[in-house]
Amino acid sequence: MPWYLYLALKQLFPSGRKFPFFTAISVLGVALGVMILIVATSVMGGFGQKIREMTVDTQGDVQVRAEGLIENPAALQAQLAAIPGVVATTPFAEGPVAVIFERKPQFPGMQGIDVNRVAGVVPIDRYIQHGSLADLDDDSIILGSQLALALGARVGDKVEVYSPLAFEKLKGNEVMLPRALRVVGYFEFGHQALDSSVVLVPLRAMQDLYGLGGAVHGINLKIAPGLDPDAMAAGINAAFPRAAHLHARSWIEINQDFLFVLQFERNMMFFLLMFIVVVAAFSVTSSLLIAVVRKTREIGLLGALGGKPRQVAACFCFQGFFIGVTGTAVGFALGFGVLAARDDIIGLFMKLTQSEAALVRFYQFRHLPRYSDPAYMIAIIVCAIVISTLAGLLPAWRAAKLKPVEALHSE
Amino acid sequence: MSNAILTSRGLRKSYLSGDRRIEVLQGVNLAVAAGESVSIRGESGSGKSTLLNLLAGLDAPDAGTLEWAGAPAHADRRALFLGMVFQAFYLIPEIDALANVLMASRIVRSPGAAERARAADLLARVGLAERAAHLPAQLSGGERQRVAVARALMNSPKLLLADEPTGNLDEHTGDAVIALLLDLCRETGTALVLVTHNVAHAQKTNRQLFLREGVLADVRGSGFKVQG
Repeated sequence: MPWYLYLALKQLFPSGRKFPFFTAISVLGVALGVMILIVATSVMGGFGQKIREMTVDTQGDVQVRAEGLIENPAALQAQLAAIPGVVATTPFAEGPVAVIFERKPQFPGMQGIDVNRVAGVVPIDRYIQHGSLADLDDDSIILGSQLALALGARVGDKVEVYSPLAFEKLKGNEVMLPRALRVVGYFEFGHQALDSSVVLVPLRAMQDLYGLGGAVHGINLKIAPGLDPDAMAAGINAAFPRAAHLHARSWIEINQDFLFVLQFERNMMFFLLMFIVVVAAFSVTSSLLIAVVRKTREIGLLGALGGKPRQVAACFCFQGFFIGVTGTAVGFALGFGVLAARDDIIGLFMKLTQSEAALVRFYQFRHLPRYSDPAYMIAIIVCAIVISTLAGLLPAWRAAKLKPVEALHSE
Repeated sequence: MSNAILTSRGLRKSYLSGDRRIEVLQGVNLAVAAGESVSIRGESGSGKSTLLNLLAGLDAPDAGTLEWAGAPAHADRRALFLGMVFQAFYLIPEIDALANVLMASRIVRSPGAAERARAADLLARVGLAERAAHLPAQLSGGERQRVAVARALMNSPKLLLADEPTGNLDEHTGDAVIALLLDLCRETGTALVLVTHNVAHAQKTNRQLFLREGVLADVRGSGFKVQG
């Protein structure tokens, strides 16, 4: 082992000392920063993952729309189903409506779904809290849980639904009466915007309310697992002539703004929390600088014994590197330990603050989601080690700059 | 001197002190033969340590030349050519006595079994075989200086430069360290340049020099003969 690495290790772990206190403090500083980064990015990643799953679960992998209405959805579905990689298709119609219950109005978006086919594309059943899709007929409706709460409507109650078609009818001096639909269930996606502003009805009911006849607004597709939704959408677009005026978009493209915000939020959190590591690195710099000052004469001696300035610099640089590597390893262990015990920690926190109900109500979770993105984990490792090594550079540079003759006679 | 281990000619060194330039060394000529021991005395501030730093190649002279074994002195040769002993010992506190001795070798190459055996042997020769595993903080001043002497001899240098090695020791311990230093140099054929204030220690060397007004003089009887 080169002498400068040997000496660096001896300075980190002096002979005869059972516990290297100063080294442990420096390592702990980096470890805490890494731990917080891992926990925060993993939990944020978990939320992001959940939201992505929920988005695919409500929209399907690829959505095909026409410029206007799709007049013959059955024919188009057959064409789409014939494309390799398409597993299932389901038509939908959608639009805003007014829902009134006991003089309380709400204005959600209504989704008309093909009750028999929808489950093959989007697992809505998984999110229905009361009732089931099988209960849905032409005179019934499933409400978002938050919307039901806002209306005060319960299962069995009848709500009145007004369609924008009523305004069209008024122009011709016709009055379109509201449609009374019986509430047969609630769904809860765990997403405030969806749970408070969407209702589900059978496709035929939606077609009646919007006067669509047999037409639909689009077709949702499920593709084979492992296929790239963007590539599939591009393939579908290429498969249809321009004259068909069809446009397929993946769920990623449809939600790109939202996904960008999610990613941006996560990147910002990573960037801001990285400053914890930077602060820890400053403490490493500080302790190594003190060591350089304290060991000025020893550094002079090493020069007198034949040590080269770059070797003296390497001795201190290696200490920063070692603290970075060890701190990152300990931080990883602590971070994944905290993640493994996250539900117990949240449980204890809720017990202590008596906030379980609030947490579930506002954040819709009892179990903290987690996804440790390998790319982020690698970024944390690289950044923590690079920053800690850089922390050793200034002390190393100062040590290398010392002239042996001056260092030996320093006071 | 044909078998000179160390030869300096016209070494000059000056420092700026405020606006004033102080000529510390004004043309030092010195030749030390292999195995010879030379002492240099002088008043405080006369430039003894400055001269030793120049001879060790730790500092560059303003003028003059320096040769080690007939070749120009160069920092790259220092580790194997000369050993140094300082007043303040300068042992590395985190490693034990044996590792401190081995450090001189470690800087040149990774030590093997032969180097470890030599370090242990040197520690035994300075009377510290039992203290090899002790940290510097666990040793007395005299013991620390003996470790420093062993370290200085680790690479079998041709020349040993000692800068007031007894300055931090009591008289009895100092005498013992000087006797040890001279014995070891004699045994190993190492030339010694000893900077000291102590007349008795200086008298034990082959040749006594005195640094006055930036010039080395040979002390012979009651007079001085300027080294030329």
